[in-house]
This record gives sequence, C-alpha cells and structure tokens, in this order.
Amino acid sequence: MLKGVLEGCVLEIISRKETYGYEITRQLNALGFSDVVEGTVYTILVRLEKNKLVETTKKPSDMGPPRKFFAINDAGREELQRIWAKWAFVSSKINELKEQRT
Amino acid sequence: MRIQDMIEGRKEWRAHMARVKALPQDYQIVYKEIQRYLIKVGPVELSEGTELLSGIVDLFEEGAAGGQYVLDVTGRDVAAFCDELIKDSKTYADLYQEYLEQKK
Amino acid sequence: MNFWEKITGSDMKKEFQAFEQRVQKLPADYRAAWEQINTNLWAHSDFTGRNLMPIFDGVLGLLEETAAEGQSVVEALGGDIKGFCLAVAGDEGTPTYRDKWRAQLNNNIARKLGK
Repeated sequence: MLKGVLEGCVLEIISRKETYGYEITRQLNALGFSDVVEGTVYTILVRLEKNKLVETTKKPSDMGPPRKFFAINDAGREELQRIWAKWAFVSSKINELKEQRT
Repeated sequence: MRIQDMIEGRKEWRAHMARVKALPQDYQIVYKEIQRYLIKVGPVELSEGTELLSGIVDLFEEGAAGGQYVLDVTGRDVAAFCDELIKDSKTYADLYQEYLEQKK
Repeated sequence: MNFWEKITGSDMKKEFQAFEQRVQKLPADYRAAWEQINTNLWAHSDFTGRNLMPIFDGVLGLLEETAAEGQSVVEALGGDIKGFCLAVAGDEGTPTYRDKWRAQLNNNIARKLGK
C-alpha cells in the first residue's frame, strides 16, 4: 500500500517546485518516511518519466555529476488529481470502518 | 546471448563501463551484481540500449558524490530495488508466455 | 508445450488424470480459465511440476467451490489470471528461478561488501 502512496507523494512534491531525486528523498525522510532511500525514489521517478507525467532537464551541480530535474506537466497534474481523489475515497472508507468499532 | 552480442563491443557500452569503473569500489560491486541479475531476468529494455543501466550509474554517481554508502542509496534489499525498477517491463519469460498462449 | 509433455513420473500422471476429471466437471468458462492458469503456473515451477501439485489441488478446489455457488469465473478470479497465479504460487512458497536469483543477488552483495 505504501508504494502507491509514495508515488502520489513524489508527484505532489514535484508539482510544487522543480526538483531532483536527492532533494525529494530528503523531503520524504523529513516527513517521517524514514526508510525511503534514493533508490526507492529513483524507481518512482523512472516510472513517472516513462508514463510522461513529468518533464526532465539536466542541470550542472556544484558538486558531482549533473542532476536530472523533474517538473510536473499537464498529464502529471491530472494524474495527481486522480491520485488524491482515490486517496480521499480510500481514507474515508478506512475511517468509516474504524468508526464501526464499538 | 543476444543482449551481449548487441551491446558488447559497441562504443556506447564501452563508454558506459568506463563510467562504472570510475565509481567507488562498493558501488562497483553492487552495480555489477545488479547488472548480472537484470541480464538473467531479461527485461526487454536491456536489448533496447543502455538506458536502464546508465540510469543506475547516474543514481550511483550522485550518491557517491554525496559521500553516501551504496546500500543507503539502493536500500538493503537490492533485489527489491531492481524488481521495482523493472516492474512495468516485460521480460523475455513474459514474451514466451504470450507466445504460448497465442499458439493455443 | 503441453503440460503433459513435461510430466515425468507415472505417479504424477495419475494425479493429473484425477485433476483432469475434476476439470471436466466444471462449467465451460472455468475450464477455459483453468487452461490459462495451468500454463501460467508452470512458469513458477521446476520442470517436473511436483511442487505444483498442492497448488493445483488448492486452485481446483477454489474453482469448484465458486462454480458451485454460481459465480462466473471472472468474478471469482478478478479477471487477472496471471496476477492470480503469481499470488497463489507465491503463497505456497514455490521457489522460482527469479526468487533464486533475487536471493543470489542480495547474498553476493552482502558477502562482497562485508568486511
């Protein structure tokens, strides 16, 4: 379940500002997803790019190799809306189930 | 093996391996094991060029430049990382399976 | 490749014949699904198929039950036969080549990185 949620999180982070893998990973770590590593985010980014939900640009970095930056596109924004709609549905159902507990 | 024939000896492949050799030792070890695994599993992307593999080198170069330990980049379960990477890809086994179904 | 061709021992032949008789009693859509499941499950097996026997038995049992309840096969399996097979084969802990390679990959890395 976490995998699907993470994809939404990564796309959400990208939608706010053009960014790159390392930064996204640190942001997720700071959010409390402490076992998310670069590799996890990388596989998600590869998929987002393959599904044409993001645009990429290579930019030189002051340290190490050039970095690949990701920016959301229109298809990505639509997908993000779908993801959050789905999430709202799932979480409302889970809450409903929890409240049935007496 | 077909993939090897296609990529071995080609300039692109040599350039790719040169980048691998420039990685720190621990990254090289993990990279080589990943490559071996991917060739066995056989996602179709492997025969379409070095994109899948060079993407991993991109990731590793960045991690190495940041001074990270390799398993902190891939996660402890490297196989899970690989599987996630080729989750949507067809493998040769899948293609064979489809062929069998069509033949029926 | 037909699964009969892959079978070695005669003890297994008997078991497969028993399976086949049970399959014949299923409705047509179930029989068609069974054919597909068969092919798919072999992908998760060694070549003798011995480790598949309990899985075949379990899956047939499930098909018989749901057919008896009058459900369609699509309702019963969710339409994704390949996914279904992956899940059952995984549940039974059938070691596949892919699993072996996976373990090899992680073990090699642990060994070579470990000081």
